[in-house]
Amino acid sequence: MNANKKDIFVKTIDEHKKIIYKIVNSYCPNREDRKDLEQEIIIQLWNSFDSYNDNYKYSTWMYRIALNVAISFYRKEKKRPTGSQIYNQASIFLVEEGDGEEDAELEYHLKLLQGFIHDLNELNKALMLLYLEEKSYEEIAEILGITKTNVATKISRIKLKLKNEFQKI
Amino acid sequence: MEAKELKEILAAYDAKLDNKLSLNIASLKSINLDKSENKMQAMLKYRIVEIVAFSLLALFIGNYIAINWSQTHLAISGVIVGLFTLIALSGSIGQVVLLQQIDFSKPIVDIRKKIELVNTHGLLFLKLIFLSTPVWWSYVVVGSDYLFSVDLYARMDADFVLKYLAVNFLLLIPLVWFLNKLTYKNLHVKWVRKTMGLVTGSKTMKALAFLHDIEEFEK
Repeated sequence: MNANKKDIFVKTIDEHKKIIYKIVNSYCPNREDRKDLEQEIIIQLWNSFDSYNDNYKYSTWMYRIALNVAISFYRKEKKRPTGSQIYNQASIFLVEEGDGEEDAELEYHLKLLQGFIHDLNELNKALMLLYLEEKSYEEIAEILGITKTNVATKISRIKLKLKNEFQKI
Repeated sequence: MEAKELKEILAAYDAKLDNKLSLNIASLKSINLDKSENKMQAMLKYRIVEIVAFSLLALFIGNYIAINWSQTHLAISGVIVGLFTLIALSGSIGQVVLLQQIDFSKPIVDIRKKIELVNTHGLLFLKLIFLSTPVWWSYVVVGSDYLFSVDLYARMDADFVLKYLAVNFLLLIPLVWFLNKLTYKNLHVKWVRKTMGLVTGSKTMKALAFLHDIEEFEK
């Protein structure tokens, strides 16, 4: 294997690790499966690395691959015994869990939001993730392969649903 | 919660990830990145095997028809069996084309549709089996002639053959209507959903339901 190519790949993953981390966490409710999904995304990114088309932003290309892999992974029926420590070997991880009051509040809101995202179907989940990443409607349309108008309509529907969900609390 | 508050939460989360998210380079490098065969490639191999098998069968049937061209009943039976073989062959070729178009760096909706169409391949064979029922005698006639050199048609009563053809021709019309209904577009119809659930596996049903979701998502 070309060592230089691998170094460039590792550097690229490092720069965009947040994308992988967020997608893995949104599509894998089961902690034990996250390591597997992370690996599958990284392998797919590596396999497609040579065919990267620079007409698109690197993040657009990466979102497409990571979301496609995540949806496939999510749709597989996974059965893994619980209690596995495999997540400790994940390549992308949080250095430490926050324990301050501010972090606790953030964690609380994030859990609510993640719970809401988790209840969406696979495609709406992808749409919501991209919206929350503040991607433009044009880029979301490009990643998903639907029209900009459709993106706008769906986002306003999901936002309304989200608002209602949060108002219940 | 308003969109603004939501974005504030996410900005805080982003800042946290920026500070605390780390990449274990050693772990990343230990992943077998050259793991060459994925599920799609394995499926591609199965479909290629199908193409080879159906092609051989088509060649055999073609040869059978040519040999028995002068015996109308054997030639017609051969043509019917050949027709079904060609439909199955074109279905498998279509699957290979779909599988080769699956590129995860392409837009998600398009790729999901292709993947789920690949997952519903079993439905084609099921439809072919149903569609074969009015002409099942063709298989028997060809089989008994080829394997045991017994011409069943010659032993049948002409009146029976005529009645059989008429009944089966009439059966073909509702059958085609019924099979046309068995698509993901009609999953909202209770009897279609129940019938498909009964005759296909859960994998095919899941794929069909997702194709329906994709169509809804595109609207």
